Amino acid sequence: MKNIILAVMLTSYLLFSQEKHKTDLFDLEVQEKINLNKSYSHFSKAGLFFIENNWDSTLVYSMQHLNTIKQNIDLANYAHYMRGYSFNEKKLYQEANNEFNKISPEFEFDFIVKKRLAEIALEKNEFKKAVSYLEPLTKLSLEKYKYFKKSEVFQNLGLCYLHLKEFNQAESYLVKNVEFNEQLKDTLDLITAYGSIANLYYVQYKDDLAIPYFEKAYQLSKNTKDFDAKRIATLNMAVVEENRKDLRKALEYRKEYEKWKDSLNDQNKIYEVAQIEKEFAVKQKQQEVNLLEAENKSKIRERNGLLYSALTLLILLGVALYYYKEKSKANKIIVAQKEDLDALNATKDKLFSIVSHDLRSSVNALKTSNNKLLDNLEAKNLDALDEQLQNNSAIVNGAYNLLDNLLHWALLQTDQSYFEIASIRLFSIVEQTAYNYKPLMLENNIDFKNDVLKSVSIFADQESLKIILRNLLDNAIKFSEPNGIIKVYTQSTNEKYCDLIIEDSGIGMQESTRLELLEDTISLSKKENKNSIGTGLGLQLCKSMIKKNKGKFDIESELGKGTKMIVSLPLKA
Amino acid sequence: MENVNVLIVEDTPEESDALIKVLEENNYNVVDVATTFKSALDIFYNKAIDIVVLDIFLNGNPDGIAFAETISITPNASKPFVFLTSSTDRKIFERAKLTQPFSYLMKPFNALEILYALEMAVEKFYAQPDVFLGEEEDTIISSEYLFIKKGKSLKKVLITDIIYIEVEEKYCNIITEKEKFVILISLTKISKLLDATLFSKTHRNFIVNTEKIIEIIPADNLILLSGNHQATLSDTYKDILKNVRTLK
Repeated sequence: MKNIILAVMLTSYLLFSQEKHKTDLFDLEVQEKINLNKSYSHFSKAGLFFIENNWDSTLVYSMQHLNTIKQNIDLANYAHYMRGYSFNEKKLYQEANNEFNKISPEFEFDFIVKKRLAEIALEKNEFKKAVSYLEPLTKLSLEKYKYFKKSEVFQNLGLCYLHLKEFNQAESYLVKNVEFNEQLKDTLDLITAYGSIANLYYVQYKDDLAIPYFEKAYQLSKNTKDFDAKRIATLNMAVVEENRKDLRKALEYRKEYEKWKDSLNDQNKIYEVAQIEKEFAVKQKQQEVNLLEAENKSKIRERNGLLYSALTLLILLGVALYYYKEKSKANKIIVAQKEDLDALNATKDKLFSIVSHDLRSSVNALKTSNNKLLDNLEAKNLDALDEQLQNNSAIVNGAYNLLDNLLHWALLQTDQSYFEIASIRLFSIVEQTAYNYKPLMLENNIDFKNDVLKSVSIFADQESLKIILRNLLDNAIKFSEPNGIIKVYTQSTNEKYCDLIIEDSGIGMQESTRLELLEDTISLSKKENKNSIGTGLGLQLCKSMIKKNKGKFDIESELGKGTKMIVSLPLKA
Repeated sequence: MENVNVLIVEDTPEESDALIKVLEENNYNVVDVATTFKSALDIFYNKAIDIVVLDIFLNGNPDGIAFAETISITPNASKPFVFLTSSTDRKIFERAKLTQPFSYLMKPFNALEILYALEMAVEKFYAQPDVFLGEEEDTIISSEYLFIKKGKSLKKVLITDIIYIEVEEKYCNIITEKEKFVILISLTKISKLLDATLFSKTHRNFIVNTEKIIEIIPADNLILLSGNHQATLSDTYKDILKNVRTLK
């Protein structure tokens, strides 16, 4: 007998707080409240954590809300409800009880609060208190039963009365519960309902009434997959059969019971294994994640390293390029300088060759001539002396001109000579320059005419103009035949320049020679005419000086007829 | 007409001899040859010098420039001078050029170049350019002398010796106690440059040295001058009477 009671107590006990999970419906209410009261940040947070089933956070924020906002009773009720629910979930029943009791009766969901309180009372085996909470809940409007099942109320009430041994009351509720669940066709609830009423009858030793319910429960349990329901139904059947002394059947039920129990255990074990596997998998995943993270980190580090090294290389390249450019620039300058130096060297070499060749031959000629002179003097051959002296004089003049040109050339190259452009009367300068050549021209019977008008004045540097004229006259004489004519005159071709023309009736020159002479290079060519001393230096000097005087130079020549040297000089400064 | 007095400052006898030769051939009067800076100054201040020809380098020093600088800063004593140099060294020239007016003669030189340089020096010194080389004029007027180009050389006439000047178109007849000659100069220029306290215009064509006036005969429009010269006095210029000291 004791066994039965034990079994009954055991089974029924399990049946109480069926509705453990809160309904989604209430969550929606909370969500709505949050939307309406967004300004209350603590309430909103508490509500959101409540919906997420995060009880600790719910407790923290609801407390903060209650501490700060006190005037809004509706929100306070919600907060207290959420706190009570959270405490209940954490199995702190006393605190839960206190929180629920703080909710004012006007609270919209007061009936849910009552149900919670009843459940807490049941947890504490305070059946009378539970009944006092539950009784009013049997007569609610249909609307409110959306939040929990009416059958639950009947079930719990029935069980309370069962525990209080008020069997009539218990029977009425449990029967109602069975009817209710039969209508709803919820297998698990029906099994529970059948089990409960069967127990009720069994406790009162109304075996005939009890056993069909046990069997019904058992039959139904075969169709469910809930091992717990199967186990309880089977255990109940085993106890029943044992009491009926049908030990064979009892044994069968026991065995089945054991099976379900094992199954349950197995299931639990499977769950556990699955859990462990899951944890393991999670761990592995975590490890993988960690590995990937580490890999990522190392990749980033690698990438950064690459970036930095690339940057450094780039900078190095830039610097190298800069220096390379600088170097090539410097090289270019050096090359240019080298070219200049080469040109200067070439000039110098030419000057040297002139000095060494022409000057040397001049001086040598003078030397031989002097020896002859001495011989003649010794032999008192006085007639020859005059001629010899003239000869010497000519040689010296040529050498002197050459030296003078060399000097001026050197001065011009180094820009050392005094140079001042001023207004100059051309006639006078031509006269002064020609003066030195008068004896020579007389000797060669050359007719010289200075046809420059006295009024003509040009702008030039006096000394360089003299050098130009000297050289051109020298040339004209050199290339003139005896009895020739040399004319100097001006001719105005445009407003800016005055053309000074030195015209001779000499041997002239070939076109190629003319072009060569006009070229801007220092082609100190060897002359065609062997008898004339000359190097081309004089003409080059002329060209350079004319250029420096901002003038122009041209040659007109006809072979055998004569040459015109044309120097164009600026009329204005 | 007198010869122009030239002082040569030159330490090389060959050079100075050549110079003297050319100058004397062309009727210049070489007063002396100084060979040092000191003697040059000595001669310059003690003799009547019209032009100085001076070598830049005396005994290796640019004393010629120093000499030019010295006489340039002496007011009223300065005379035209010509630098004689054998180099166109720019630095030397830059320094020499500071002694304005700057004339130079480059060695080696011929006779024409010497004469040209002297003429240039006179033109530049008295700031009357383009006189001797053109065909329009041939005379430069200083405070003491008229420098007149005669042929290749220069002559001078003491201004106080002039009795009167008679203008004939672009010529001027200069009449002195001893001689009479023609110069080429414009009337405007000569009246501007002659000392106004000494010379007065008595007629469109006559400029008279008031010091040389012996008698003025207004009735005959005649001025009697020393040396039996006469000049015309026109009505336009009778104001001259006020300026002449008259015996009362």
